[in-house]
Amino acid sequence: MLDEVSFSVDTGEIFGYLGPNGAGKTTTLRVLLGLLSPTSGTAIVLDADLSKDDSMRRRVGVLMENNGLYDRLTARENLEYYARLYEVNRPGNRVTELLDFVGLTERAGDMVGNFSTGMKRKLGIARAILHEPEILFLDEPTSGLDPEAQHMVRELILRLSRVESMTVFLNSHNLDEVQRICSRVAILHQGRIRALDSIQHLTSAGKKTGFSITLADTTQASEAEDLLSSFGGIGEITRNGNVLGMMLVTIHAHEVVTTLVKNGIWVEEARIQKRSLEEIYLDVMRQAEGDVA
Amino acid sequence: MSRIMVVAEKEVRQLIKSRNVMLSALLFVGVFGIFTVPAVLSGMGDTGAMMDTLGFYLVLTLGVFMGYLFTAQVFLREKQSGVIETLLCTPLSLRELWFGKVLGVTIPGAILAYFSAILIMVTGSAFTGQTLVPSLPVLFHIIVVIPAFIAATSGLIGFTQFILGMRENQILNFVIIFGIIFLTTFIRELTGPEFSVTWTVVAAAFGLALLLILVTAWLTRFLSRERIITTLSE
Repeated sequence: MLDEVSFSVDTGEIFGYLGPNGAGKTTTLRVLLGLLSPTSGTAIVLDADLSKDDSMRRRVGVLMENNGLYDRLTARENLEYYARLYEVNRPGNRVTELLDFVGLTERAGDMVGNFSTGMKRKLGIARAILHEPEILFLDEPTSGLDPEAQHMVRELILRLSRVESMTVFLNSHNLDEVQRICSRVAILHQGRIRALDSIQHLTSAGKKTGFSITLADTTQASEAEDLLSSFGGIGEITRNGNVLGMMLVTIHAHEVVTTLVKNGIWVEEARIQKRSLEEIYLDVMRQAEGDVA
Repeated sequence: MSRIMVVAEKEVRQLIKSRNVMLSALLFVGVFGIFTVPAVLSGMGDTGAMMDTLGFYLVLTLGVFMGYLFTAQVFLREKQSGVIETLLCTPLSLRELWFGKVLGVTIPGAILAYFSAILIMVTGSAFTGQTLVPSLPVLFHIIVVIPAFIAATSGLIGFTQFILGMRENQILNFVIIFGIIFLTTFIRELTGPEFSVTWTVVAAAFGLALLLILVTAWLTRFLSRERIITTLSE
């Protein structure tokens, strides 16, 4: 069940859609693809409602959880079938090109039923981009893939976005992957969007900011810690050799550095520590659970 | 090539590669085509008329059963595996998808029905010692009417498999099997000793098949992507 879900995705953007199982990610995907009708509101993709316009589906690529492949057909037959459904020009050439691209040329004549999960996923990705869609909907594209294949898929998604200006809507549980490749994310919980922002903004925003200072002289560490402790607006100072870690609550990073320098403490490096997407996700989930309770 | 033909060709190719299904179908046709004939022909006076009757109802029953067997592979299997969801995201309209699948079931179903007719003819000829050839109305019935019935029944079964959930589909399977048994018995009752296959009978059967096709084609208006998606197995 979705509730007041509202967002837009820009052309060429890689948009991450996150949430726990049952949050409504697949339902959102189905609504966007015109497979389910919303009880109220509209889902517009490429200026069209896909539930009302079959021809618009030609401009959309989809990789669902099951890859959309037939076990009793060969890899080549599977791709050729979809190429003909999408009326791809010179389907034979395009299929050969994609089989090569995903490294399955040597298995082109084998039944897909004999493929490993990873091979099926690669073939599924080739199928999804076969007709060069303008927007690509991916549901957990790297699940079941080995690290090398995951890297390949991530590179492919980035290339499609940067070079071909393809818009990518990515449903994923893999927070590290989303942080690496997505420009914006929405975090869903029980059918409602709890966070919607750019990764950059989400990871640098928050009431507290992690900050670390590396001192040039380790002997000044104790003095620096005492000085900062007497400062208002800083919490949780930790010391590890010449590195001081702290949370900035009401004070800015430059003020901390200026104070230290004015007091004769040599600062070698100062770094604002961004929160990981995982931390943000877990915070959002905790907050959402609290709201629900 | 139209998208309907693309779907039909894929379904035929996939059915041919489904060894278990094809073996079951061939076994069924073989057993009924060979072993039923001597039992039916024994004690009959007019073997020619009896061959016509067999060609009329036995080949029809076998054809419809083949259609049923293949429909599960063509319609239901895609729903069970979830591949249908990807297909629903392609430019294929629901009607194109449905027609393509019906055609994909009808072509191999009809070929097996023709094969069963040949088997019945060969077995009957071997059993009686004379060359038995079906009459012209029965020939028309086998070549044209039976494929129409296969299309109509597989279209109807496929339609219901699309709109029903997996549990309801299991119940439907039993209903269909009993329906086919009932159909066979009903036609045999209808085709008593006095029954002969005339052009009128064949025309009536053809009319019924066409009506069924039209009704089923009309029913496809009520197919919706949402209905198919919400009845997928989890």
